[in-house]
Amino acid sequence: MKLRSFRKKSPWILHYNAGSCNGCDIEILACLAPKYDIERFGMINTGNPKQSDILLVTGPVTKRSRERLVEIYAQMPEPKVVISCGACASTGGIFRGMYNCEGGIDQYIPVDVYVSGCGTRPEQIIDGVVQALAILEKKTRDIEESVRLRNKSLSEEGQINRRNVAAEIKTMVQ
Amino acid sequence: MDLLIKIALIVLAPVIGGLIYGFERIVRARMQRRIGPPLLQPFYDFFKLADKRRMIVHSAHAFLGIAHFFSLWFALAVLILGGDLILVIFLHLLSTSLLILAGYSTRSIFSHLGANRSAISILAYEPILILIAVSFFVQTGSFETASVFSYNEPLLYKLPLAFIALMLILPVKLKKSPFDVAEAHQEIIGGVELEFSGIFYEAVYTAKWLDQIFCYTLVYLFGASNPLIGLGLVLGSFLYVNALDNSSARVSYKQMLRFTLMVALPVAFINLLLSILQHTL
Repeated sequence: MKLRSFRKKSPWILHYNAGSCNGCDIEILACLAPKYDIERFGMINTGNPKQSDILLVTGPVTKRSRERLVEIYAQMPEPKVVISCGACASTGGIFRGMYNCEGGIDQYIPVDVYVSGCGTRPEQIIDGVVQALAILEKKTRDIEESVRLRNKSLSEEGQINRRNVAAEIKTMVQ
Repeated sequence: MDLLIKIALIVLAPVIGGLIYGFERIVRARMQRRIGPPLLQPFYDFFKLADKRRMIVHSAHAFLGIAHFFSLWFALAVLILGGDLILVIFLHLLSTSLLILAGYSTRSIFSHLGANRSAISILAYEPILILIAVSFFVQTGSFETASVFSYNEPLLYKLPLAFIALMLILPVKLKKSPFDVAEAHQEIIGGVELEFSGIFYEAVYTAKWLDQIFCYTLVYLFGASNPLIGLGLVLGSFLYVNALDNSSARVSYKQMLRFTLMVALPVAFINLLLSILQHTL
């Protein structure tokens, strides 16, 4: 169907600063400015998790910001894509191993695209977002597919047996 | 034939509004020396939002958003078909108040702030609109917009001050800088529309397009007898609103209220007095 090609033409971006030094944030703002102008791809910096598709995170996740990060991620409706922007967000960068943060956002939320660089370049951010769009389209298609046709059911009744799951975790802990 | 055009305009109002919004985004981008999104970008957004998972705060909140859209459409239909201008203004007020109710019905603090500010901006533009409608009545002898459409010369020449007053409150109504406290995208993240998502946000998003048509139809009324003058006024006000939006920063709600009630309201009032004097003498 032709309508489906519209999906990747209007990605709305939510930008969250999880304790970054503002280096990457300035580069993200540079993408919006006249030189790179990502609005020509239909991208808007919304700032509202309930209406956005792509979560751009900068900075190593400090212990103060991780709850907010997870909460913002949970508030975004499916399908959604997470981009970790910069060395700090991907691995912790120069802050890795410090007392106030634990390297990288992928310890808390699933990340789809990693953009490298300490101060990422706007070109890299745009490239990362374009790759994220392909993932977004794939996720949209996955949502439409019937899970029951593709996957085996988890138990005989078609429901997860909580007692069995708890027993598995108990053996793992021991 | 005339009626057919009007009915087509009403039925296709969301589509035309979307095109106007897309054009506006291009114009705004060009004013900032950017290329800007494609013309059909609002429709791409529309179809994308339909695909998102539905998340609602509670059913009444989603229903109020949809009711806002349809009541605004109804107000627009009454305006274009030549109904009572006072009725049109109050129908518009009703649709805005539905959105404000939706804003208050959630527990989000930003939503409450946005609802408060929307109510304040109603206070800023509503008295002036009523005064403009009354001066239309004094000039044409009827509150119906049909009589404005059939008036023998453009009302702009008769009521220039009313047009100036309308221009002063147009940014408040369209939620543009410097008077966009109700929406305030970086500050309270859209205000009342904050908690809407997916297909329910679509109703609020499309209502914004309808609002554009509503406002520009009000501008068109000033040149309604001569379509060329009317369309010229619409284009001029469109460029004026967008240039102002690009070149000014947001003022606080107190400054907005002070400006509209101390500058725009007296202008509209003097206009009314002058037209009454003109008709009694």
